[in-house]
Amino acid sequence: MNEMQNSPTCERAPDLIAFVYGEADEREAHDFQLHLQQCGSCRAEVASFGMVRESITAWRDEVLAGFVSTPVMAQPKTKSALAALRQFFDLSPLWLKGATAMAAVTFCVLAGLALFRTNNPQVSSNSGAVYTEQEVNQKVKEALAQQARVQPPAEIPSPNVTIESPRPKPKTSRTSSSTQFARSQRPLSKAEREQLAAELRLLSSDDDTTLNLLGDRINQ
Amino acid sequence: MDTLATDEIIVERALTGDAEAFGELVRRWERRIFALTYGMLGREEDARDATQETFLAAFRNLRGFRGEAKVSSWLHRIAVNQCISRQRRTRVRSESALGEEHETSFATPHSYSPAHVAEGRQETAAVRRAINSLPVELRQVVVMKEFEELTFREIADVLDLPLSTVKSRLYTALKQLQMRLQKFESRN
Repeated sequence: MNEMQNSPTCERAPDLIAFVYGEADEREAHDFQLHLQQCGSCRAEVASFGMVRESITAWRDEVLAGFVSTPVMAQPKTKSALAALRQFFDLSPLWLKGATAMAAVTFCVLAGLALFRTNNPQVSSNSGAVYTEQEVNQKVKEALAQQARVQPPAEIPSPNVTIESPRPKPKTSRTSSSTQFARSQRPLSKAEREQLAAELRLLSSDDDTTLNLLGDRINQ
Repeated sequence: MDTLATDEIIVERALTGDAEAFGELVRRWERRIFALTYGMLGREEDARDATQETFLAAFRNLRGFRGEAKVSSWLHRIAVNQCISRQRRTRVRSESALGEEHETSFATPHSYSPAHVAEGRQETAAVRRAINSLPVELRQVVVMKEFEELTFREIADVLDLPLSTVKSRLYTALKQLQMRLQKFESRN
């Protein structure tokens, strides 16, 4: 290094500097390369200048890496929504990215469901009209009760009897009980059988055998 | 704004009242002008101020641009002038700071490895100090060449110097930087 420093400067300094910076044309560069083979001073300077330039380049890169626009130059272009979104995701931590993705998926699913329902109006219209049997009975009772408040009580039909074909009232309570016995599916007890027999006997004697038509006051 | 338009066309648009034209010019050149001012001044704050002043001066003198030189050369010339005037204003402070650095940073030469110089903050600070310690006329050409990557001809146009003078100044600047960085390396 001391040798290089103390070596006499070659007269071809302008050619050397053009060669170092690559601004010599092809002929000049070839000519100077031939000179370098003979001139130790220029060889040493080419090498040391190259190292100096490396140092300056390293400093320059460090300086320019931290460069940010100054306010006078601040005429930022309007970012597109996509660019802004991309920058947001670039700067966001991983957990935020995941949460955003989950929210997006949930939103898409809900939107899809809403769209599906919109495209199938039958489902949506029937959804409010479906009743259980219990609800139907309740509705009928309510309607009948309302109707009963408007109409006289005598005309209130029983919920179990249709309006169009009302059943005739039984003549006697015994007829009613015998009918109940007859319709009952369970076997009759002894008391019930006797009651039923008595009723049947009573009916048959009244209707057929004990009629005394000749003695009737009307026939006479 | 058409990004393929030349600087000269952009200047013409700015002169006809295109509000965004000058902004495009600023966007194109701000980084390189900042590099120049930083290389010249050595402090980020000063460099930002000088860059700002450069573009403000360019905007104010836009009608004075005759188109004889390239727009880039014109901007660089304004920037160099801004740096020189700024250095004049702060000459006393700068000289005292550099004087201290001369006393503390540079010692007898021994060995020198630029790769090591570039490795850490301390080493790059040494490069900055070495460049700052150069005379202004040498510093200009080094910064324009190394930071701006201008050609010799462009530097000659910006500084209004003969081509041979640019080469000789650059040679002298590199020689002085080499010696100063050797001193720094030998001290560490």
